[in-house]
Amino acid sequence: MNDSVLVLTLAGAVITGTPIALAALGALLNERAGILNLGIEGIMLVGAVTAFLGTQATGQPLLGLVAGALAGATLASLHGFLSITMRANQIVSGLALVIFGTGVAIFLGQPVEGQALVPGARLGRTAIPLLEGLPAVGRILFQQDLVVYGSWLLVIAAAFYLTRTRTGLALRAVGESPATADAAGIRVAMVRYTHVALGGALAGLGGAYITTRGAPWDQAATTGGRGWIAIALVVFASWRPLRALAGAYLFGIALRVNFALQAADVRIVPPQFLTMLPYLLTIAVLIVLSATDTRRRLGSPAALGVPYVRDER
Amino acid sequence: MTDPDPSPSAPPALEAVGITKVFPGVVANDAVDLTLHRGEVHALLGENGAGKSTLASVLTGLYRPDGGELRRDGQPLTLRSPRDGLERGIGIVHQHFRLVQRFTVAENIALGDGRLPWRWRRSVVADAVRKLSERYHLPVDPGAVVGDLSVGEQQRIEIVKALYRGADVLLLDEPTAVLTPQEADALFATVRAMAADGKAIVFISHKLREVMAVSDRVTVMRDGAVVGSLHAANTDPAELAELMVGRQVDLSARKARGEAGRAVLSLRGVDLDAVDGRGGLHGIDLEVRAGEILGVAGVAGNGQRELAETVAGLRAPTRGSIHVHHRDVTGTGPAATRVAGIGYVPEDRLGTGLAPGLSVADNLRLTSKQPLWLDRRGATETATATITEFDVRTTGPGAAVRTMSGGNAQKVLLARELDTRDGAVTALIVAAPTRGLDVGATEFVRDLLHQRRSEGCGILLISEDLDEVQALSDRIVVLSEGRIVLERDADGVDVTELGLAMLGHDPDGPAEGGTS
Amino acid sequence: MMRGWQLEPRRDVQPGVLLVVPVLSVLAALVVGAVFLSAIGLAPVAVYREILRVSYTTGYGIADTLVAASALILTGLAAGIAFRFKLYNIGGEGQLYVGAIAAAGAALWLGEGASPALAIAVVIVAGAAGGMIWVAIPALARAYLNTSEIITSLLLNYVALSLLQYLIFGANTPWRDPNSPTFPRGAPIPAEAVFPRWATTRVHLGLVVAVVAAVLIAVVISRTRWGFHWRIFGDSPEAARYAGISSRQVIVVVLLLSGALAGLAGAGEVAGRAGRLDPNGLVLNLGYNGIIVAALARYNPLAVIPVGVLLGGILNAGPALQSLPGQNVPVAISTTLTGAILIFALAGELFVRYRPTRRPDAPPSDGDPVSVGTGDEGGRA
Repeated sequence: MNDSVLVLTLAGAVITGTPIALAALGALLNERAGILNLGIEGIMLVGAVTAFLGTQATGQPLLGLVAGALAGATLASLHGFLSITMRANQIVSGLALVIFGTGVAIFLGQPVEGQALVPGARLGRTAIPLLEGLPAVGRILFQQDLVVYGSWLLVIAAAFYLTRTRTGLALRAVGESPATADAAGIRVAMVRYTHVALGGALAGLGGAYITTRGAPWDQAATTGGRGWIAIALVVFASWRPLRALAGAYLFGIALRVNFALQAADVRIVPPQFLTMLPYLLTIAVLIVLSATDTRRRLGSPAALGVPYVRDER
Repeated sequence: MTDPDPSPSAPPALEAVGITKVFPGVVANDAVDLTLHRGEVHALLGENGAGKSTLASVLTGLYRPDGGELRRDGQPLTLRSPRDGLERGIGIVHQHFRLVQRFTVAENIALGDGRLPWRWRRSVVADAVRKLSERYHLPVDPGAVVGDLSVGEQQRIEIVKALYRGADVLLLDEPTAVLTPQEADALFATVRAMAADGKAIVFISHKLREVMAVSDRVTVMRDGAVVGSLHAANTDPAELAELMVGRQVDLSARKARGEAGRAVLSLRGVDLDAVDGRGGLHGIDLEVRAGEILGVAGVAGNGQRELAETVAGLRAPTRGSIHVHHRDVTGTGPAATRVAGIGYVPEDRLGTGLAPGLSVADNLRLTSKQPLWLDRRGATETATATITEFDVRTTGPGAAVRTMSGGNAQKVLLARELDTRDGAVTALIVAAPTRGLDVGATEFVRDLLHQRRSEGCGILLISEDLDEVQALSDRIVVLSEGRIVLERDADGVDVTELGLAMLGHDPDGPAEGGTS
Repeated sequence: MMRGWQLEPRRDVQPGVLLVVPVLSVLAALVVGAVFLSAIGLAPVAVYREILRVSYTTGYGIADTLVAASALILTGLAAGIAFRFKLYNIGGEGQLYVGAIAAAGAALWLGEGASPALAIAVVIVAGAAGGMIWVAIPALARAYLNTSEIITSLLLNYVALSLLQYLIFGANTPWRDPNSPTFPRGAPIPAEAVFPRWATTRVHLGLVVAVVAAVLIAVVISRTRWGFHWRIFGDSPEAARYAGISSRQVIVVVLLLSGALAGLAGAGEVAGRAGRLDPNGLVLNLGYNGIIVAALARYNPLAVIPVGVLLGGILNAGPALQSLPGQNVPVAISTTLTGAILIFALAGELFVRYRPTRRPDAPPSDGDPVSVGTGDEGGRA
């Protein structure tokens, strides 16, 4: 009974939710440092195509994932340069990243447009001994791949880092009140650069995961707005890593149910309307959150989106 | 005018020799000498703009001097950043606290401490904090969230933070500006205790009374230069005042009080519910009469802003009524309240009272009802006239307010809110009108307020600076936790009584000491 | 950052700098594009010469550039009017789609036989209304619940795209051409509703609409009470509240106007360019690129016009180069170039606002409340 439709859907939801979780964790680290990075979608696209090409060239999906993460970090550093050193409007800079990233991704991916990695080069499953045998849960959680397990470790590590470590404390201070952090002897710009790059690497990894798992490269559909959902998820998660993971899995379930309905060729609702649902759901969640819970808005880092200039008059 | 150094055997803890610091168009520090000994409280006295803060920034490593040198225990010292300063045991408590509001006290104190292990433990920091707070009589709760604490408590955290980081030279920049007299007394005791423990304390202030009360030695600055360095025991306030100002300026005396007329502004039973965790107002009864200045004293965060905004029509009171003359303006909104004759000079000039990116001309018409098609020429003419009348230093009516100095921006704001040309303004709400202004601008603002008062305006002055309230007001009320807890005539008011009321003590109840 | 240098805020923006920054941005972006082109074995100079030819130096090319510009000026205004007042409507793409849907629907509903003036007026109004409807939810949520309009407006782009695909590919809707059952496409709108064209070119009425809109908006912003209120709100929402200006009203009006402009662009795409609702023709990402136009124009409505023409040529070049024989230039060259231009322009913006000077420190804060930070800017609430 371990492969019922429900179990398979939930197992699929983990796979679908993982790139969103990684991207959301990346966006979260950016925002905790006070940098709003709207470029996540562009970073994911570049990560996806880089990982595709890297895997194709080396035959090693893990190398492809590393390439995707590095590409993400590089692109994010560009946003870091614009928003930290050049004090640009972070919203516009993030959008520039989306546009530029999309262009670069299409450019690089043109030779492989519409293709998927050959099955042998894809990231395979790695079951966790003993745990994989658990009824239902084993199939859902413990017959996944290294990136899924890695994402759990990353989320836990991030939660620990933020609350328990000296550098995590410095990071939060930089996002809350850079002037205070500066006065306490913390290098604000460096903390911001580091975490923007780190966040970019995570978002790039999220994109990379999609193609290395075997999804075809298609600039319009590979990420399909998941970068934006990830950004919304950060608000939903009140800037906490574990909640971001939970939220990503919820979206994973929503998307999977959606795919299942589309695949089942349900005639009552046209597929285009099913496609709309995750976006509408996100919008609804954002609106309901701001209508009901003021404390959640207070979870936003106080200096989010504000360039820090020492002593500027 | 300089007393000789006692020339003790040990070299000074920190010494500034011929420090010069130049900014575009200003020599902020001109060959300044300063000698700090261990165990000494050294007051740095001077008006706003005299160069005290610049010197403090040089001493703590924020600015690098253009000339001169620092010596620490006799050795030359080069500081590249405040971090350098902290590492060499030089700490500062700024007038505007450097605290993360959402962090706990322990987190704020641990922030930036490289000695802690990467995986730090709150309990270790909390223990160290408790020891320091006991030693110097600085009660702080390491687990409290800073944003929930009063201004006085936050200042204590700043001091503990500096001590925790190992500062044995500690600068306090205008530390009493936001404290009640009782809190200030407690601070003085802490300062003395720190000095007795062998630390060198720099007490930066422009208030003679407290300088005389706390310091061993006084260095007076004027126009970026040291004009005297004296033993506190060998001088008196009159001598210091003359040194500090360099001419006869009488900021403290109130101008002859006019005949207070009928009430121009009255609040009856005004309640305001708390929103977003901020305090509300409870049963406020107030009356401002024509030709008087009513001062509202209180510790920051006790409902001052709420009171100002409620009177100005920006918030509708939950209960009660507000009348301007005999007109009920309760809940009519800011525009109608303004038309009824209320002017409002908010505490936050740039950003609330003025739109910083807009021109002088636009800012002067910010609050008046505009025709659908703007009268650009009229606005420019008005602005030109105002610039001349108020002696505003700017490049012209089209200049953005952001590019102007604080004093000039305040003039633009006052010019607009005090505009009585059409006789509209009958009552004024003025919040912290001289905060951060230099001596010339302060005088200008105070003269202007007195002038409007004598013309029959009723003025509601709200300020956290008790000295300012005392200096300007005819009558004083104390606001504490959203209630008026005391009302007194300004003449012969008892400062201790005011201070206790500001701390929330019932004036008719049994008197107690400070919060500590 | 740069040792020994500091940045001093400029008191007034220098017109020279305003021109130099975008020009240098374009040049720098061309260099980046050249790197990419070389990487795939193309000669950048040849490609750029082709871009000039297909977009700027031939009559046919200029006409196509102006067609693209008509839409870009409108989406640039849509983004510009919102961004200028710190309202970040990044849903221009979706608002354009819905404007196009509404415009096509209105034209088809009106049918043949109406007077051209009426038909065109109906199409224009319908387009604007469509854009306004699509921005209404983000606008109202921002105004009344303080929900950030950034993500809500953006996500609605995906919803609009699905809606558009449904109307043409999903079912037999009135928008779909009944005469082309195998290759689904939009139904042609009646001839009366088609925008008049200039001589024999494809330049249409939309260009006039765009230029008129730019001038009108410039006038409203600088000369009227409404614009005054928007400027105060955009500069400091606290100052607006203090001055008794309803922030809600400003937010709703500005965002609706922004949506209407994007919707107008959609109407132009239907009635001016394609003559039908044409999902495949909307691939130029006109809505997103409007943000680039607005940013390059520094949110100045009049500057949007020349910038729209410049960018129209670059965007136009992508598909045009594709159709050339013998060359295999990726369409993405346009997107890459425009993205790079924006990045360089953002970096250059620093030099518009600040002047680098050789002073090691900032001015003193003593006695100057302008510089007094609270130490925790966010704590001001």
